[in-house]
Amino acid sequence: MIEVQNLVKKYGEFTALHGISFKAKEGEILGFLGPNGAGKTTTMRILTGFMPPTSGVAKVAGHDIFDESLAAREKIGYLPETVPLYPDMTVQGYLEFMAELRHVPERKKRTQEVLQLVGMEHRAKSLIRSISKGMRQRVGLAQSLIHNPPVLILDEPTIGLDPAQVADLRGFIRDLRTQHTVMFSTHILSEAEQICDRVVIINRGQIVAQGAPRELRSKLNLGSRIYVEARGRADQKSLANTLSKIQGVKFAEPYQNGVVVNVKDNKDVRPALAAAVLENGLELLELRPVAITLEEIFLEVTTALGAEEDA
Amino acid sequence: MRNIWTVFKRELRQYFVSPIAYLVMFAVLMLIGLNFNTDLQDRANFEPADGTVVLSTFAFLMVFFAPLLTMRLFAEETREGTLELMLTMPIRDHELVIGKFLGAWAFYSIMLVVTLVYQGILLSLTNFDPSPAPLQSELDLGPIIGGYIGIWLFSGATIAIGMFFSAMTENQIIAGFLSMAVLFILWVGDLAGLLPASIVSTRVAEALRVISLQSHYSTSFLEGVIRPEDVYFYAGVMFIMLFVTTRLVESRRWR
Repeated sequence: MIEVQNLVKKYGEFTALHGISFKAKEGEILGFLGPNGAGKTTTMRILTGFMPPTSGVAKVAGHDIFDESLAAREKIGYLPETVPLYPDMTVQGYLEFMAELRHVPERKKRTQEVLQLVGMEHRAKSLIRSISKGMRQRVGLAQSLIHNPPVLILDEPTIGLDPAQVADLRGFIRDLRTQHTVMFSTHILSEAEQICDRVVIINRGQIVAQGAPRELRSKLNLGSRIYVEARGRADQKSLANTLSKIQGVKFAEPYQNGVVVNVKDNKDVRPALAAAVLENGLELLELRPVAITLEEIFLEVTTALGAEEDA
Repeated sequence: MRNIWTVFKRELRQYFVSPIAYLVMFAVLMLIGLNFNTDLQDRANFEPADGTVVLSTFAFLMVFFAPLLTMRLFAEETREGTLELMLTMPIRDHELVIGKFLGAWAFYSIMLVVTLVYQGILLSLTNFDPSPAPLQSELDLGPIIGGYIGIWLFSGATIAIGMFFSAMTENQIIAGFLSMAVLFILWVGDLAGLLPASIVSTRVAEALRVISLQSHYSTSFLEGVIRPEDVYFYAGVMFIMLFVTTRLVESRRWR
């Protein structure tokens, strides 16, 4: 549904995108990850037809975003980073205006539908200036859904929301998957991990990694980690020393009340670890795997890239 | 067409929910009313009534009040971030520009229509022929009809100029101030001929007169004369300004 090939965007001297390529299939949730200023918004603005790329091709629902701009735009629902609302309009008036611009048949009915979908029907008659930030975000989302587009592009949709609202919105995006291809950007990695089918990580205008969150983990060969906590005479340091000598362990280091063991190649070293603890006359209190988060993947790939550039 | 209509409706409706539009309408109509009253008193039993006073006052006020209503057209949308959404809607840039322009022009047309009240007053005042046969009004309708057409076109040109400045900046105050300054210069331009030739050569003065907004109604429409060149002038200003504004909006995509 979304196809991007070798997209380059230059703002004068500054190159915001260095030829990125990615794809999103139908019914997929694509997370677009990166630190601030990585080029996320630029990519989305190109995809939505707000601005043309310097070079490269972008297609949405089979339409080239530049050559068949209007046809492509019809297929997209877009929520920019600053929610685009007219403060002097009522929620309902705003949505009906958007529906009219999108040539939606039966505007009134569809407006009620999306209002229900985002849970805003009780504030339909309120002026937009009088509703809260979270509600505005929901109205913005309703706007992007009004024409039931096959492709949804959401730029940092969860920013500025309280935790309950964030959880709500994440659930909502997940539910959208059945009918829409969703591409959303975020710099919160756990968010992408929770709801995305695929993740594209971008930094300084370049894609540094892409794939399913699980795939990314194994692809980057980060191994796995195990947290070990023991009670006895030996302190954390000596325990870490002992454990790091076990075959298959990359290294071990003290962490909180115990030791975190980094394992090579996803080998299962748990029995060996338990045995080593007991052999040293210690009582084993805890032994559990520690999941590697996207945060770490992200740090890994972005710092590696940064180091390359600096060298 | 359909998209222009959609944008037009929202713009026009927007004027009726914004306090500044009501304030402008209040101020314009009140100042016209005061001027009308003074003029009527001055002429009473002395000169024939003149319906174009209302129109020349309206035109003068447009120079200062048009920018107040056009400054928000694009500047506000840029600042609120709604322009980004509008430019990703399946509508063309010129449809957005034309829709907004027509919305603002329609609001002014409504104000202009309200001033017809004064013509009604003049008509009833000048119909004093007591004989029942031919009711001949003393009022000269030619300049009034011509004047309304002329001032309507003139206001379209001022709005197009105001909108251009609104598209140039995201600061409403700057947009308003710039268009006010430019409109004022264009409005008083035809007075350059009054300066001694040593300061402004007659050729320059003539050029200034030709491009001035005032000279194209004061000596023609307001005298009841409709000259094609004046119609072309205002239509041309509107067309050029709309074209340039469309280009300006488009250029946001390239920045």
